[in-house]
Parts: sequence; structure tokens; C-alpha cells
Amino acid sequence: MLKKRIIGVITVRNGLAVQSFGYQKYLPIGKPECLVENFDRWGADEILIQVIDRSPNLLGPDFELMEKLGKLGIQTPLIYSGGIRSVDDGVRLVQLGSDRIAIDALLHDNLPEVTSLSKILGAQAIIASMPISLVRGLPMWFDYRSKNLKKISIDVIGLIESDVISELVVTDWIHEGMTVGYDQGLVEIFELKKTAIIAFGGISTPKQMKSLLQNRKVSAIAVGNFLSYKEHALQVFKEALGGMPIRGPVYQSSISELVD
Amino acid sequence: MERLQENLPLELVLSKLTAGIIDYGAGNLASLMICLKQLGYAVKVSDDFNVLNSVDIIFIPGVGAYPAAMKALHQKGLVSYLREQARLQRPIIGICLGMQLLASASHEFEYTTGLDIIPGEIISMGPSKWHIGWNTVETKASEMALMSSNGGIFYFNHSYRYEGPTKYQVGLSQCPNTIATIIRKNKVVGLQFHPEKSQLAGRILLKNLILELVSNA
Repeated sequence: MLKKRIIGVITVRNGLAVQSFGYQKYLPIGKPECLVENFDRWGADEILIQVIDRSPNLLGPDFELMEKLGKLGIQTPLIYSGGIRSVDDGVRLVQLGSDRIAIDALLHDNLPEVTSLSKILGAQAIIASMPISLVRGLPMWFDYRSKNLKKISIDVIGLIESDVISELVVTDWIHEGMTVGYDQGLVEIFELKKTAIIAFGGISTPKQMKSLLQNRKVSAIAVGNFLSYKEHALQVFKEALGGMPIRGPVYQSSISELVD
Repeated sequence: MERLQENLPLELVLSKLTAGIIDYGAGNLASLMICLKQLGYAVKVSDDFNVLNSVDIIFIPGVGAYPAAMKALHQKGLVSYLREQARLQRPIIGICLGMQLLASASHEFEYTTGLDIIPGEIISMGPSKWHIGWNTVETKASEMALMSSNGGIFYFNHSYRYEGPTKYQVGLSQCPNTIATIIRKNKVVGLQFHPEKSQLAGRILLKNLILELVSNA
């Protein structure tokens, strides 16, 4: 059966991988390509690169970074997010080595372009990404460019449920990078019939992971900061998640295993 | 002519083998190219018949929509070329959309005739909509090259699937119903998953499959 996934998240700002805390505080931790290679070696199920300074500064996607990552020859599927404005951007990212793309600002700015992207790349390659918080029980959508909260429009919900995208990243942006854990209420407020949820933000312990992975709405959990605190963190988490419907820990990703 | 000579010692087969990746503008060729190079093969990426004639095995990659991919293959004259290569028993591996292109037709967006090398049609996944992530593949016992990959877990990312005669279905997965994820007719094999993105499991499968296909060429 299809496994649920643990996605390694690498947040990039000013060309450096950073630890991000609540979408407002950032600590540089090194070159993104080094983290990508680590997650690949540790057997991540997918790797999400989110370049957070592209859309606010109208820079477009970081093609240079994507090209660099594409040439690493990693064996793990890559998802790129950050600055995507058009079909041409999406196609170029895929040609440079991204397997899927995640859309955030474009959901605010240009829904028809998201639909066009889906027609060219296929909906399976398109992920919607939404930072959400609950305000008096109501879901509010955070625009990280303006730092404002707004209601989720019917048009956006309609697009998410219309086979244009394949999965939705629901980010608990308030708890992102913190150990208090992901607010599972964020998953519960979405009554999506067709679209599975990737939960991201503050997921730091096997207990929190188990709870999310047992939720039928959740197809994957995404973990960022908490994979950077120790070596082989992915395998350690996977070991602790015995009995969950996930792919087990991988310890042999070396090409040397193939030498007769 | 760089194609493999018959009766080469097995250990030389890998080192002398050249893989050709068809370039028809579809998606991410770099991942497959690097993967094959890491496995020790020379790689040529081309849409030129002369170049493709010189390789030992042809890969049809693919990301995106079926109609656009077939249109691109037609524009480059590759449809009749690939049909002829299959008839000549040359080894061909189609990956993801590349596997689906091997079939007779697809219902993605509109009815589109495929390469028609392996009988069958490409239809929607149905209620499950997507098949995204890692899933187990059970291989047919008769497929010796796939034996060590039986029960292996590979990375999938698609929303349409193969429907056709069971005799061509040599690998199956549950999603949640049983679907064909490896198809084969003679020297032509289709892999619905991405071996180049399936870490060690993908490379083991590719290595064994390529070796079998070219060593019996």
C-alpha cells in the first residue's frame, strides 16, 4: 500500500539554509546543497526546498539554486517552492530537476495561472502551500509578504478541490520551528474530499508525528528545523515511528551497494 | 557502431554500455541522466535517429500531460522510429509518462493515440485520484531480472494508470485497488514509478533490468 511520507524541509533565505521560527526569526545553518545531500543520504521520502525571500522581493524562482541541486544527482524527489509566477517558471524548474513545485504567493495573485501550470505539468506535480492560523476558531490565511491575515476565499477552496493541485501543505506558521507541536485543529478545519494534506510547522517529536500520521486527511508530514539538530535525524524519527504506515528507515543509499 | 557486441564477458557489459535518453522536451532529463552515469553507463541525450541508433538501450522519460508528449514525439518523427525499434527487438524502457506512452492510447484530457507498442490504454486512477509517494511493487515470478526487486518500495507520482491484458503486467501495486506498475512486451519495459528517484531500490532494479535487456539483445 501507498506509504505516508516524511518530507525534509529546507528553508532558504539570502542563499543560505536557515532555521526559521514563526516566520519571523531566522538562523543561518549552511549551504542548502549540503542539507539536500544529507536528507538524500538519510532516506527522506521527499525534500522540499522553500526559498522564502523570492516572492516578497519579486525575484522569481531561484533557478541558479535549482540548477545546482539538479546537478547533485540526488536520489530523492525534490519539491521547489519560492517565487513561482508563471507556467514558464514551473516548466523551467522541472527541467532543472524539480519533481514537483509548491505554490504559495501565486494562490493570492493569480489562480488562472495555477490552473495553466497544472495543465502543462499535471496536477500531480502541483502542491498548494498555505500558512494558516486559527483565530477564534476560524481559519485565517497568512500572506507572508504583507504579514497580513485574510479569510480563505471560496475561489481558492474551489481550486484546491478541483483537481488542479494534488496536495495541500497546511503550515502552522505560528508554531513553525517551535517544540510546542503542530496545531491539529488546522487539519480538522479542512473538509477536503479530493486533496490530501501535508502538515508542516512545529512537528518535533515522534508522538506528534504519530498523531498526524494516523489522521486520514494527512498524506505526509514535513519537518524542517528538527532534522538539523542531529545527524541521521530522519532515520531516528522513522525508527521511533514503528507501526506507522510509512517507509522504514533507510541506511544504505550508497551507490557502492551496487558494485558487484 | 557503438552497440554492444555479442558474447562480451558479463563484467564488461556494464562498463561498455551506452544508454540513450530521448529528448522530446518532456520534463527532467537530468535526474535520469545522472542516475545512469552513476550506474556506470555512458549516456547520450538526443532526438537524432543516428545517435539513438548507436546506443544499447533507449529510455523514454516523461513528466507532464500525455497529449502534449505525443504531439512532441510526432513532431520529431519519433513515433514511427520507436515503433520500428520495438519491432527490431531493441531494448526500450519507458519511465512514468514514458511508460504510458508505450500503450495504445490514453484518456488523459482527451483520447490520444499512443506509441501502441504494448497493447492497453491509459485511464484515470478513479476515486483514489492520485498515486503520489512510495509504494510496494510485487513482480511476477517469471521476470528473473525483477526478482530481487520483488516487494521493493518505489516512488510514484501519477494520476493515470495502465489498463490492458494481464500478460503484459509484470509488476503490480495496491492503490488501494491493484494496478499495473511494470508492463512488458518482449524487450520493451514500462515503469510507472521513478527508479531514478527511488534511492537504492530504484538503482538495483535499473541495473538488473538493463543488464538483462542488453545481455539478451
